[in-house]
Amino acid sequence: MTDTATIERTREGTTASLELTHALTQTLYREARLLDDEHYKAWTSMLAEDLHYHMPGIETRYRRDKTEQVTDLTRMAYYNDSKPEILKRLSRLETGTAWSEDPATRYTHIITNVEVELTEKADEFRVYSNFYAYRNRNERDEDSLIGNRIDIWRQVGNDFQLVKRRAILKHNVMLSKNLNIYV
Amino acid sequence: MRFERIGREPDYSRYMDLKEGWLDRRIFSDADIYEEELYRIFARSWLFVAHESQIPSSGDFLTTHMGEDAVIVARQPDGSIRVMLNSCPHRGNKVCFADAGNTRRFVCNYHGWAFDTAGDLKGMHEEYCYDAGDIDFKNHGLKNVAKVGNYKGLVFATFNSDAPSLEAWLGDFRWYLDMILDNEEGGTEFIGGCIKSVISANWKFGVENFIGDAYHAGWTHDSGTRSMNNGQPFPPIDMDNSYHASVNGHGWEFGTEGVGDLFLLGRPKVMDYYNKIRPKMEERLGEMRSKIFGSVASASIFPNVSFLPGISTFRQWQPKGPMQFELKTWVIVNKNMPDDIKEEVTKGVMQTFGPGGTFEMDDGENWENCTTVNRGVVTRHERLHYRCGIGRQIEHDTLPGIVYRGQYNDANQRGFYQRWLDMMTHDEFGKMPARPEPQLGNVAETRDLPGLFAL
Repeated sequence: MTDTATIERTREGTTASLELTHALTQTLYREARLLDDEHYKAWTSMLAEDLHYHMPGIETRYRRDKTEQVTDLTRMAYYNDSKPEILKRLSRLETGTAWSEDPATRYTHIITNVEVELTEKADEFRVYSNFYAYRNRNERDEDSLIGNRIDIWRQVGNDFQLVKRRAILKHNVMLSKNLNIYV
Repeated sequence: MRFERIGREPDYSRYMDLKEGWLDRRIFSDADIYEEELYRIFARSWLFVAHESQIPSSGDFLTTHMGEDAVIVARQPDGSIRVMLNSCPHRGNKVCFADAGNTRRFVCNYHGWAFDTAGDLKGMHEEYCYDAGDIDFKNHGLKNVAKVGNYKGLVFATFNSDAPSLEAWLGDFRWYLDMILDNEEGGTEFIGGCIKSVISANWKFGVENFIGDAYHAGWTHDSGTRSMNNGQPFPPIDMDNSYHASVNGHGWEFGTEGVGDLFLLGRPKVMDYYNKIRPKMEERLGEMRSKIFGSVASASIFPNVSFLPGISTFRQWQPKGPMQFELKTWVIVNKNMPDDIKEEVTKGVMQTFGPGGTFEMDDGENWENCTTVNRGVVTRHERLHYRCGIGRQIEHDTLPGIVYRGQYNDANQRGFYQRWLDMMTHDEFGKMPARPEPQLGNVAETRDLPGLFAL
């Protein structure tokens, strides 16, 4: 992972061309549609082999507290996964006995505030976005997960693959019983 | 110190018959019973509040709840730990809004009343407005709990000055607790951070699930088991060599094969690590406990803390009304583990028993529906079946507590609800029966006890 662009901007970011911004925005929308429809095979084909997918747990702390809650990867996290680890989680759905997914959960991912930047790597791009992930299940079971993402996407031929994602959920107490969702 | 509620229900014994093996569903949904639990269970028990590793230095603090009472847990300059209400004695506002941190003072946002980390009132905004005789600083600190105790790194507190010592409260259960707290030189620590989630279920469903419900694991968690282990199903249960053990409402269900929970974690490096230290563990804790550790097992400490030895999730079920609890999840590791093993354990726990974990995802919905169906008045008067294995109690040479054979059993659940009933019924701790009579006596260190009858 050291050989890929960093999540944090290391120099003044350069705004991408309209064409590149459009292509990556469309990639984010496509990804959201695949997740809404539980097309996980197609979704995981968009993930790079060297993926790092990270959603840290964030405690409420005073402003003066300098505890590094996001970049310290030894701390507890909802997700701190490689691609094989994501595939392992997803393989639960293929067993036919994931009882809390049947009947199916209904998902809508809304992706907004997309910004694309060039990085120090010619084929890798930093993409900022916000997510609103809505879940509804059974009769009136529902919740909303809202937050920011910073991604690194890599161009591979005409497509893009997700190399890094840092998703920051805005909950302190996650107001849901589980997290059977990717954002 | 006793907290009384007007008009409480005098007789809870009609909500269960544990010799017959049934419970009345109203204990999982009734608002009056829940209120009474806050008084009689949570205001009187020893409650887990922290692992000492979370607040290592002077001024370190964290906030949590004892029942629904918000408290601050703070490390003092002399190294001791104090636990106090997170509520200003002036108008009652919270004085600390952070989950954790380090400070010299807790200062109320409302009128600037300032307290040191022991809770003593040190001053306030425009102090001159108080005339001589208006306020006695000594009596207007943050209310401290009655007692704080530490058992091998786990910090407990109680509001009840009549409570027995923490050692007596845990009693013979310490023999079991040492398998997770003291299986290696150096003891344990929590990984940084705490994940909190909300489940719309009665708090007791979480506790009883971990105290004895191995039975659900192979069915509820078939998908989780297979996902973590390349499609392999839940490990077979040996009903002749697996047990339930209950001590005063605490309970541990376990096999003796040594590998089941480690297998479910799905991290081969962690399995290798424990296999490597197992001979030393045997020297330390004796043969039986070294065989139990790592087996398919789960445990709860009365009233509301649970963990999985081997999988290393550690959790607390915080009551938030009769039909909701907040689940706080931590990762517990041995302090002397190499960093890469700690990282493996942490990842394994979050992939199995975090909110997005392959096991955790299938639990919440069950508990929610076990609870919310009781909104129906006819439904809530129906009984629930808790009779599994009711005839399998045994005397065991090595295992302390009330022991039942076969880890598919409701025995520890019955033991938990018996203790619940004892506490709901008796005003005095001294009048509550010991269940069972202590067998280990007043030993300070269970490590020196390979087994009961080797004493």
